[in-house]
This record gives sequence, structure tokens and C-alpha cells, in this order.
Amino acid sequence: MAHTLGNPQKGIIGFYKRKFLFFLILFVFVSTGFYIYRYNSYSADDAAKSQPIGAYGQEINISIEDDGNVVVDGSKVKQKVDLLNDYDELRLVVLDNSGKSYGKIRVTLNLPKNVAENTKHEFLGIHGVDGTSSKVGGVNQIIYEATNVSSQATLTVVAQLPKGTVDPPLARKMLKLLEQMKSSYWFIIAALLPLFTFLFLIALLTSEFKQQKIDIPEKEISFPPMAIPPAIVGALYTQKVGPREIAATLIDLALRGDIIIVDRERGFEFGKNKFDQRLLGFEKVLLSKIFSKNIFSGRGEIEQRINNHFYSKKISIVSSGIYTLATRLGYFKVNPQALHAKYRFVGMAAFFIAIGGFVASLLWFTDPAYIIFFWVAMMISALLISILASRMPVRTVIGQDVLSNWLAFKKYLSNPEMMPFSENNQEIFQKYLPYALVLECEAAWARRFAKHSFITPDWFLTEKVGLGLEDFCLSLFPIISYVGRSLAALKEPGFE
Amino acid sequence: MSSPKNQFFNRFLFGGGVLLDLCKWVIFAAVLLVIVHKFWFTIFVVDGLSMEPTIHDKELVVLKRFGTATNVQRGDVLAVKYPGDPDHKKYIKRVIGLPGEKISISDGKVYINNSIHEENYIPFGVITEPNGDNKEWQLSTNEYFLMGDNRPGSNDSRYFGPIEKRFFLGKATTVIYPRFLELK
Repeated sequence: MAHTLGNPQKGIIGFYKRKFLFFLILFVFVSTGFYIYRYNSYSADDAAKSQPIGAYGQEINISIEDDGNVVVDGSKVKQKVDLLNDYDELRLVVLDNSGKSYGKIRVTLNLPKNVAENTKHEFLGIHGVDGTSSKVGGVNQIIYEATNVSSQATLTVVAQLPKGTVDPPLARKMLKLLEQMKSSYWFIIAALLPLFTFLFLIALLTSEFKQQKIDIPEKEISFPPMAIPPAIVGALYTQKVGPREIAATLIDLALRGDIIIVDRERGFEFGKNKFDQRLLGFEKVLLSKIFSKNIFSGRGEIEQRINNHFYSKKISIVSSGIYTLATRLGYFKVNPQALHAKYRFVGMAAFFIAIGGFVASLLWFTDPAYIIFFWVAMMISALLISILASRMPVRTVIGQDVLSNWLAFKKYLSNPEMMPFSENNQEIFQKYLPYALVLECEAAWARRFAKHSFITPDWFLTEKVGLGLEDFCLSLFPIISYVGRSLAALKEPGFE
Repeated sequence: MSSPKNQFFNRFLFGGGVLLDLCKWVIFAAVLLVIVHKFWFTIFVVDGLSMEPTIHDKELVVLKRFGTATNVQRGDVLAVKYPGDPDHKKYIKRVIGLPGEKISISDGKVYINNSIHEENYIPFGVITEPNGDNKEWQLSTNEYFLMGDNRPGSNDSRYFGPIEKRFFLGKATTVIYPRFLELK
């Protein structure tokens, strides 16, 4: 519910969660950008000034274990031997801006095998180090020494071991293998993964559509094949419950005398009429979304009810009710909502795994981590699954037959020939209008009556005088289209 | 009552759907920014005085990533990882010596393969001093010699030696704030 100051109806300041969330996300996004900008700094590093040097020395013992782990003075450190193409390398910072100065630092590096002679070694020192040296101290030992080390100094032990000196766990080897894969391989994988996913889904859809082929009727039929609510016809036709189904339901309710639609110069209103007990469950819920306690519900009130929520449980129930009814009538093998939810689950799970992989690659892999292109490709593939899977046909043989009849009726509705003059034309136009809407031919249906006289229906009240058919359509369609689209957009995730 | 499996299924669909619905554009924008930042170009703030007078402290510079590793020329200003601490220290320096060359410093001048190297980006009168006894470097096929333009106040290859190509981050192309300067 919106929290307002001032008049509760008009509200001087409205607190809308959607807008709030939008600005929250924007704030987080801008803050992140600022953080990166602020801390993405590279040092134009100055040479260290001379420091007073301490007289005492320091001894450090480093051991490389068989699996590549590194132990410094008896404690295992995070750093491991890095696996490179030609050699395995240790680059270990042993002193960094310690705040203490030393006369001499001696580091003893113990290797897991007798490869000291074949190991390339170097002792790097910056920011106030007089001299560094390194030498072989034994068959498996290298000695590093630095003299006159300032308190700001950074000292790094470098040892390039022959391949095979360390034997890391398989998982680490595999990760390294992925890290060292050529960028071109990752680009190829990144291009092929979404492409194959797309082709696979298209093939699956084509195969399903072939199996569930709808016979396009040659002849048209001039009356609805059966008396079912237009929303069910729409669900059968598109396998979706969208704006058209909601709009058609509203017109159907108006035709049945349950509501009236009022066209105002600025905006519109829906009014309660007889509200009989024969309403279907989803129709009742839809009306409860539009009307509160008042008899009339205007554009402002409806917009407020829409804007107050991220999502609407009621609209989800409307959608669910239409699917369930169509499934119970035997038109679908399984509830399309449930089937599409399964695909969406797979798509969404893949998407979030890809995001996790993307972030993990940035954290764990050395730049440039080309593997992130694989995760981006997986995200695209996941979205393709979510989007295309919702088009998977699930109609039964009965559903296909019934739809075939409705398509024959659509032929009649969209026939370009003018309707012959008849005193029942006005009634026919109104009666079939909701079906024309869900079968996506309302404009063609209206054109069939273009040359006929037109009387505004009693369920549509307007201030305009002498309304023709075209004016009527231009007044009604934007209203129901707007309400249908706005309400359909409120369906909760997990509902179609 | 739905089973725990169904409950998880529905909660994931709802929760994941809400997250995806509300944050998808933020996610896409973030992914795009990361790709641009890592593989195309980025901007960074220079911290320090070692590239004076070419680049001043706290200036904002564009760093071009693409093609850096294969197209490095003498005089280019590069961002590199410090080989002694590649995970934490990143420096900006100028390329002086290319692979295979011999670099030497003598009488305040830089010599490449025994020929004096003219450097018009260094102010008149500024000399280049070696680091103690280190006066000569023979670069291998994969090594570059980098120095800051502020020779008396730069920590560079004179101190930590030549840098391998694998430590390169990108090529600094333009100073964009608070002034505009194309780096050549």
C-alpha cells in the first residue's frame, strides 16, 4: 500500500516501492562505479629515500611442499607455487613495508626435490634495499640475502622450478589448465554455446509444433464454436495469459452487464453494475483488483493500486485460474504454467550459476580471465531457455481440434468483406468483440462494420456525442489495452 | 500441503524471478562494464610523482587493454604489475628497452645497444642515475626495460630489473582529467 501525506486519495508525496527499488539499484550501481574509480589507482612509484638502517638481522625459512603449498617459518601461507607453461614459479613477498629496518635479511628456501641447480632464482628488493643476492645452498636449497633493508622495503623471493618439481592436486591442475587455455578457444566456446542452445531449442520447438500441427480450416464459421470465456480461447490460441486475455475479459464482463466502462475527457472509470453470482473465480479476482469499496474506480485509483506493488498476487491468481480452467477442459496435456515454470527454473538456475562462475573467475583467475566469456555465454543461453521454452506447445488432440474450429471462426472475424446489412449487426459486433480481441483480429472485425450505423453500447458511457464505430474503437481500445497491459505486467515471477 | 521439493521450486522461481526481474539491467550493465574494464579499456588514477612532468599525481588516465601484449613500442607508457608483488602493486612506467636489446646507463645518459637514447620527454638537465653497481642489462626475448620520466624519483627497472610481457596490464593512452593530453 502506498504511504501518502496529505489527502489519502490524492497524496502529496507517494512512496512507491517500485520507484524506491529503482533508485536504490541506481544508487548501488553509481556507488560501485565510484568505488572502482576511487580505488583503481596505479602507482607512479617513487624511489625510496635513504633510511636509518638497523643493526640486527632476520632469518626466514621457507619450504615448498610436494603439492605446491608454501610454509613460512612453520606456518602454511595462502600463496602457492604457480603452474606456468615452461616452469612452476614461486613469487613470495617476504617483507613489505614492515616499519622495521634490518642490517641483513637471509631467506632459506627448501625445495621438495633436488632441483636447486636447475632452478632460476632472484631476490627482488625495492624501496630502500642496498643489495640483494641469491645462490644455491645445497641440492634442494636456495639462499637469498639482502643488506641494509629499510623500513619501507619490499622483498620478494622468486624461484622458477623445473616442471614436475611439485605435484598439485588434480583440481588445481584443471583450474590452471582452464586459465592457460588460449583466448581464441574461449571466444569460440562463447559463440557456440548460445548458438547451439538456440538451435537445440528451435529444433525442439519445431518438432513439438510438427507433432501438434493445427489444421488451418479452409472454411470459415460465422459463430463461436463453443460458449467458453474469451480468456480461455486466448490461452488456447497463444498458450499465454497476457494483456489481451485480461482486456477481453473486461469487455466480456461489460457485455454481460457486470461492469460499465466510462470514457472521460481526461481518463476513464470502471463502474460496478449488477455483479451477479455467475462470475467465474478468475473474473471475481480480476474485478477485486480493479474495484475497492467504491462503485466507481477511476484511472488514478487503478494506477495507484498498480504502482503500489512490485507484483500482484491477484493477477497471478487470475492467470493461474485461466490456465487451470483450460487444462481442465482438456485443451492442454499439462498445465502450461507448470511446464513453462520447469523450463524457467532450469534457465534461472543456469543464469545464477553463470553469475556465480563469472564472479568466481574474476576473483580466482589471473587477468586476463578469458573464462568469463564462457559464463557470459551461459547467461545468454540461460535467457534463451527462459524465453523460448515458454513457447513450447502442450495442446492435446482435443485442444488442437478446438483451436482449429476457433481459427475457422477467426477467418470469419477477419474476413475483409463488409458484413451484410442486418438489424442484428450491432449485437453481433459487440458479442464477438472479446473473441476478436484474443484472436488478434479486433481491427479487422471492426472494419467489417465500418459502413453500418452504430449506436454506443449501454455498457460504454461517454461524454462525446454522435459517436461512430471508429470513434468508439478509438475510445475503448486504448482504455482496455492500457488496463490489460498494466495489470498483466504485475504477474508475480513464477507465473506467466 | 506442498512437498519441501515443491516449496523450494516455487520459492526459487519467485525469489530468483524477482531478483532477475528487478536487477537484470544492473546485472547486464555490470557484466558489460567488467568486460570493457578487463579487455578493452579502463580509467585509473595515477598515484605518485615518478612520471612527472608527463603525468602528474592524481591525474585520470585512460588505459587501453586490447592488443597491448603484442604491440608495445619504445616510448609507450605502460601500466604493469610489479613482478615482486603482482597481485597488489601496479605501476605506470615508460618503455625504454625492447626484447633483445642491451641497456646501459652512463654519465647520466641511457644507452641502447651502445647508442645514446634521446629522450625529449625528460626536462633539460635531468640525468639518469643507475642503482648502485647495476649499470647494464641484457634483455631476453621476452623482457622490457621500463623507467619513470622523473628519473631521480622513480622506482623502476633500474631497481627491480626488466619486466616480462606477462606483467603488462595495458597501454596508457590519454590523460583525461584535470587536463587533456594524448600520450605518445
